[in-house]
Amino acid sequence: MIFNSEISGQQQHTTSPVVTGGSVIALVYNGGVIVGTDTLCSYGSMAAFKNVQKIAQISKNTIYASSGEYSDFQQVVKELAKIDRSALQYDDGVHPSPKDYGNFLARLSYKKRCKINPLYLQNVIAGFHNGERYLGLIDIYGTYLESNFITTGFASYFCKAIISNYWNENCTLDQAKQVIRECFKVLFCRDCRAHDVIQLAYVDAQGAHIEESERVETKWDFNGFKSRANEKLHTQ
Amino acid sequence: MLKHLYDTDCVTWSPQGKLFQVEYAMEAVKQGSICLGLKSNENVVLCSLKRQPSELAGYQEKQFKIDDHMAIAIAGLTADARVLCKYMRTECLEYKYTYESHHPVGRLVFKVAEKSQHKTQSGAKRPYGVGLLVAGIDPNGVHLFETCPSGNYYEYKCQAIGSRSQAARTYFESWFHLFEKSTLEQLILHGLSAIKKAIMEDEELNEKNVEVGILGKNLKFTHLNAQELRDYITKLEQFSPNSQIQQE
Repeated sequence: MIFNSEISGQQQHTTSPVVTGGSVIALVYNGGVIVGTDTLCSYGSMAAFKNVQKIAQISKNTIYASSGEYSDFQQVVKELAKIDRSALQYDDGVHPSPKDYGNFLARLSYKKRCKINPLYLQNVIAGFHNGERYLGLIDIYGTYLESNFITTGFASYFCKAIISNYWNENCTLDQAKQVIRECFKVLFCRDCRAHDVIQLAYVDAQGAHIEESERVETKWDFNGFKSRANEKLHTQ
Repeated sequence: MLKHLYDTDCVTWSPQGKLFQVEYAMEAVKQGSICLGLKSNENVVLCSLKRQPSELAGYQEKQFKIDDHMAIAIAGLTADARVLCKYMRTECLEYKYTYESHHPVGRLVFKVAEKSQHKTQSGAKRPYGVGLLVAGIDPNGVHLFETCPSGNYYEYKCQAIGSRSQAARTYFESWFHLFEKSTLEQLILHGLSAIKKAIMEDEELNEKNVEVGILGKNLKFTHLNAQELRDYITKLEQFSPNSQIQQE
């Protein structure tokens, strides 16, 4: 049910997302963690905003990305940045570790889920702290999982096989990047709401690095497409 | 301390710029029995002398665990200490619930100090009559803080508060340069030596009237039990800080 809030003043609950971001893929590699997203925000099935950054740096050694409602992503970035700034307030140089952010986000998501007004997101927190790599997945219900690799959205269906076959937790940064690029290639071909421009970001001992967006290479000049052999009318 | 003009409430300054009610509250801390703390690179040790109200009574505990990584020793009004202890425990629990990690020590002391200061700026409230020694370990290192009723807090390498604490502080001033590299056992013996300076002539240290709490980077806060206390008090006879210098 949707109430007209001007008349009844009732709080509305997020029942379906409006502007959405696509899959997030995150992997650990030998020197840190890497996260990849595409740069598209869809308005339903319309590819509305094609150059959106969906990875945010929230502290020196932690980055955050999510798929789902983009306005919720923006709100979460603000909430997490507030925590990082608390170090300034207390003047004690203590910064939360990536795991602290992950747990905080899990508590926040769970609280909102209990009020039937969720943050419509699958969240990924990635970081490198005290020599340890961290990847956390927090879903719309507040479920909290740590893992060596994380996929959200359609990537969970299409990309796990690619990751299994071509990635291991001690690969190099370049190898991990190639695996992610390969995954987004497949996603662009098979997921209607995916885009071929992606962005990668990684966190290592030196801190967080968010790279410029790049276009994945896809091939469209197949003979089959040119001859349109698939499209011949079948007569009975 | 003698009575002064301008000392009726917290909201009256004296012409010399003092808040007498706050000063009087700090007197309450000085009346409590001694407790002290000292830290090395790896450990913090809290020692306190427990008072027995009468022969029929038990000894008043002075050290309380706040969380696995933090503990306090109190001097002053035990009832006020209980309030602060409960507050600190609640804060640590909430922090752990939200972040799954330990509350940074300095931050909690800051919160306690803020709470204490609040009580010094109201016509209807009185300051807390208790001083805390907060021992804690967090990613920033090993900490020992003192809070006082005024709302100030200080970080220390070693500190003693309460009755006759000056004697213990004098001991610390002579030997604190050894503490950083001391082992846990040496630290405990230093703490007990310092407490020994502060007891009356006719009193003796025994496992009933002394309380020792230890905390380490890989050691959750624990109290020494009666047998361990007896052993350490026995070792105290042979212990001298000079022997530690010869070892190094």
